[in-house]
Amino acid sequence: MFFRILHKGNVGDLVTGLAATREIVGPKAKGEDFVFGEITDPSELVLDYPTTILPPKKYFLLPKENLMHYDTKNSGVSQDAPNVTPRVIFGVHPCDINSLLLVDKVFLGDFVDPYYKARRDNTLIIGVSCMPTPSCMCNAFGTGEVNQGFDLFLTDLGDRYFVSCSSVEGADMLDKFVETREVEPQDMKAFQERTKAWEEAFTPAPDITQLPLLFDAKYNDPLWEEIGDDCLSCGACSAVCPTCYCFDVNDRQDADGQGGNRVRTWDSCCFSSFAEVAQGHNFRAQKAARVRYRFYHKQWGYLSKFGKVLCVGCGRCTKACKVNINPRRVIEALVKGGE
Amino acid sequence: MGVNSSIAYRELQANPFRPWAARITSITQLTDKERLFEFRLIDEVVRDAFDFEAGQFMELSIFGVGEAPISISSAPSKQGFIELCVRNSGTVTGALHEKQCGDIVGLRGPFGNGFPFEEMKGHDVLLVAGGLGIAPLKSLINHIHDERHEFGKVTILLGARNPGEILFHEEFKMWKHREDFDLIMTVDQPDDTWDGDVGLVTKLFDKIELDPKNTYGAICGPPVMYRYVIEEMRKKNLDVDHIFMSFERRMKCGIGMCGHCGVGHQYACIDGPVFSYWEAMNLQEAM
Repeated sequence: MFFRILHKGNVGDLVTGLAATREIVGPKAKGEDFVFGEITDPSELVLDYPTTILPPKKYFLLPKENLMHYDTKNSGVSQDAPNVTPRVIFGVHPCDINSLLLVDKVFLGDFVDPYYKARRDNTLIIGVSCMPTPSCMCNAFGTGEVNQGFDLFLTDLGDRYFVSCSSVEGADMLDKFVETREVEPQDMKAFQERTKAWEEAFTPAPDITQLPLLFDAKYNDPLWEEIGDDCLSCGACSAVCPTCYCFDVNDRQDADGQGGNRVRTWDSCCFSSFAEVAQGHNFRAQKAARVRYRFYHKQWGYLSKFGKVLCVGCGRCTKACKVNINPRRVIEALVKGGE
Repeated sequence: MGVNSSIAYRELQANPFRPWAARITSITQLTDKERLFEFRLIDEVVRDAFDFEAGQFMELSIFGVGEAPISISSAPSKQGFIELCVRNSGTVTGALHEKQCGDIVGLRGPFGNGFPFEEMKGHDVLLVAGGLGIAPLKSLINHIHDERHEFGKVTILLGARNPGEILFHEEFKMWKHREDFDLIMTVDQPDDTWDGDVGLVTKLFDKIELDPKNTYGAICGPPVMYRYVIEEMRKKNLDVDHIFMSFERRMKCGIGMCGHCGVGHQYACIDGPVFSYWEAMNLQEAM
């Protein structure tokens, strides 16, 4: 890793330079909100934003994707090579970079998902620092900071960015497209002051140290019925979550009936049929069981496999839920409930 | 983790979502609803590299309809073909039942783990199946049969709703007379043809004797069955880590990604489908 200082006025040069060979994606305004979308003019890029509606996950695990084309008559399969656009994603917050590292463990583990991998391999990540919103809780999960998973990371120092470079591609970007300067002592001081201000801006984090134990011990606690009663089973929390990776696979026939596409779409364990098995038996027919499973998997199930919590505290589910179900409420209820 | 000894095979399977074409080479009607399908993978290189363990499953593709996970019923000791015992109960299995000998379908796998065959060697084995649960156990039973000298006493308890629903009836009728397998069958609803036991499979535990420290148990059946069969096995003092069971879930991917087969903190497709009771007793929504 090496460090540079980039003046904010020069960011446009980086965008323009990269645009010659890659699609540029970054946060831009959509009404009162922000979304990751294609940047065709550097002025569209908003690097000082609270959070986007959907996380950058949508560029790696597509909401809907043709996995392959099949021929019904011969049961032959073709076109299973993923369709990949070389891309750079600008302005990714630390929580979202951390979320990709978590999803990587699922799709690039013992079995490799070639579609996901092709997109990861062809995407550069330029991260950017942020200040916490009221729904943020990355301070609880230690995901507000990153030291891997990006090519460049920009920490906002007012009129300039403190740039951390952690890949050959990142170094090339700085060399080729933009003017930077060496880090000086006052930049380092500003960086440390900025970090301190960021830490102090958070709502205090709930204590998660006992969560795995509490999830097992309070599996039958009435709190799950209370929270489950509220749940609309709408799946909005999963759709906006940067670490939810569940999917469904279905065949969609072409109009001529000769073939079709095997299509993967996002799915959610909140949906009532998600855990259904043969003969209609459903292991999670009740809403309470589904809500419990979602939190159980995120805060304990994934942890038991990969040593990390499958939540980065981005706060999107908190904003998306219409009935106030969110990690902070659940964790606090688990810690306090059943006394 | 999915076990597959053939590295070459895994390399062939660069895209784990892509099914191999397989030809149906034989169809045997077992009951009104169940048929035994024999498949041969068409690509010779793939067929030669294909290897599996008793207890593993395949993802069966009927293009235009979808995929379904199905346990392998043939024994790993028999190479070159794959047998799947399939009940006509859903869209994919229904579409398979409409296929004829010679038709081509898609298969990918094997996925999941198997029963601990090597660990079971040198011990007695008690196998308990209910209904369609015999499908994965038949792979294990046939594997044991092919290496019978490696095992002690082998006891098989089979339960079905009625005599017409007993799978592999003819085969098991012959086995009943073999001295090296103790096979007892029971049905809930007997008819005039039935002269065997009547009642749930748990009732058969009164009729068997076990050497608890030397016996491995293997169970497969409908979700409701496990708790009661395990209770009987525990009454017979089988160790918690010597009881194995196979879980049925709807596994969309088979490789630990889609999330559909989550059982507590595990996935049935890669951590199972075979779990020891020691593992399963601590899993939420397992049984």
